[in-house]
Amino acid sequence: MKHLLLRLEPVVWLLFGQGILIGTILLTAWVLVVGLLVPLGWVPADALAYQRAHRLAANPIGRLVLLAIAALPLWKGAHHLRALAIDFGGAQRDTLVAPLLYGVAAVGSLLAIAAVLRI
Amino acid sequence: MSEVRKRRFVVARFDPDRDAEPRTQTYEVPCQPDWKVLDALNYIKDELDSTLSHRWSCRMAVCGSCGMNVDGKPTLTCKQAVEGYGDQVEIEPLSNFPVIRDLVVELEGFLEKLQHVKPWIVRAKELAVEAGPVRQSPEELELFTQFSYCINCMLCYAACPVVANEPEFLGPAAIALGHRYNIDSRDEGAHERNEIFRGEGTIFSCSYANECSEVCPKHVDPAAAINQAKFNAVIDWATSLVLPRGGR
Amino acid sequence: MARPAHPHAMAASKPGRTRTAPPRMPPEFPMRGRYRAYTLFDATGLVYLLLGLLALRLAWALGDGEAAWSAAMAGFRNPLYLAFHALALVSVLFVGVRFFRLFPKAQPPKLGPLEPPPAPVILGGLYGAWIAVTLLLGAILAGGIF
Repeated sequence: MKHLLLRLEPVVWLLFGQGILIGTILLTAWVLVVGLLVPLGWVPADALAYQRAHRLAANPIGRLVLLAIAALPLWKGAHHLRALAIDFGGAQRDTLVAPLLYGVAAVGSLLAIAAVLRI
Repeated sequence: MSEVRKRRFVVARFDPDRDAEPRTQTYEVPCQPDWKVLDALNYIKDELDSTLSHRWSCRMAVCGSCGMNVDGKPTLTCKQAVEGYGDQVEIEPLSNFPVIRDLVVELEGFLEKLQHVKPWIVRAKELAVEAGPVRQSPEELELFTQFSYCINCMLCYAACPVVANEPEFLGPAAIALGHRYNIDSRDEGAHERNEIFRGEGTIFSCSYANECSEVCPKHVDPAAAINQAKFNAVIDWATSLVLPRGGR
Repeated sequence: MARPAHPHAMAASKPGRTRTAPPRMPPEFPMRGRYRAYTLFDATGLVYLLLGLLALRLAWALGDGEAAWSAAMAGFRNPLYLAFHALALVSVLFVGVRFFRLFPKAQPPKLGPLEPPPAPVILGGLYGAWIAVTLLLGAILAGGIF
């Protein structure tokens, strides 16, 4: 398992890097509008009514952006939580914790692909 | 003329033959205003307690011997003025290292990591002396000069939370020095070093604390080196997938 | 007393001739001095993980149909979700600033013949892209464009 983790590390690091870079850049507007402005009513709710949301997400660019927002942050999250676990003395547990966290990110990414394809 | 100021130095002590675990001992030291922390330690050793053990040598921040934790921070004691500290100063051996005695830490682990990255010019085939000198432009020199300033003082290792928890991590200075050779135009060993970086060296374990660069007394910026090295290691990995025998 | 480090941190491959005291972590770790920002930076991993999963849930609801979508969006009006998203916004900004600060020096000095642009140019590009994408995506999501 340790050897497998080492071999996958460059790929994970690239995904994690994009999770921070692209993820952060996209998430700012997403959290602001979808997470705060619309629920608080400061932006009219029909901006994200089903018909409009579906139309935006159903085109290729919309699908890609939604995929990036759903999948990339998972890798940043998994990688940093793994680092946090190790920093607090979890080096021995890492062969359990790392596959668990990256597994969540991987499954989440696959589900995200499925989700944007079925819109 | 500035005043001599008495300060209390709370110094970590550990004698493996007598102590079950490290303890502290407090000394009152009359500090001259222009003293460095090392001067205070040498005063303790010379005048108050000759059993205190600590490493030091050049007194001018070049040899890298006198690194210790001062008030919780990894510090080069010959470089750090006593003047900035309060009435009580805490001195401990460098964090993250096994302690041999008092303020003296085990260096061997670091030396092994350093040797592992082959910090010397690696050539596929040595040039004959008759071929003359190898030429390097100022631009090529500038690429790696900063990373060559490392004095192996290990303050970066004491500051790094990853070194603390992952014994196999190569650590800031070793990675910075390996990277220094990777980007030296005379060197041909980048592929070998990148395999070590990606393998047991686990340079991807670096989690961007940047503490190494904050404490480095020579402004080497090992954090920059490590993160550049990650990028280069990925490119080396990708090209070795396409060209099985690796770049050079 | 500082937290213990890994028992084999910085250990030599062969034991020395005398007994050593075990290594200890930097005393300021985890929440004092500069380590606080570092620990929080790692902790934002949880926020990002949850944000990704929430976006996944929304994307799935969008495929399920109007009822599922409206229910999911209505759920975000819950004060707990609002508090989480407020925290998430702060986290995302914190991560962006810290990461962008590191980004220029993390670029390899030379990739073949290519050199990275000077640090201020890289930073300008990063912040420019961040602001531009936020404005554009924000306007789209809020109903201002398309």
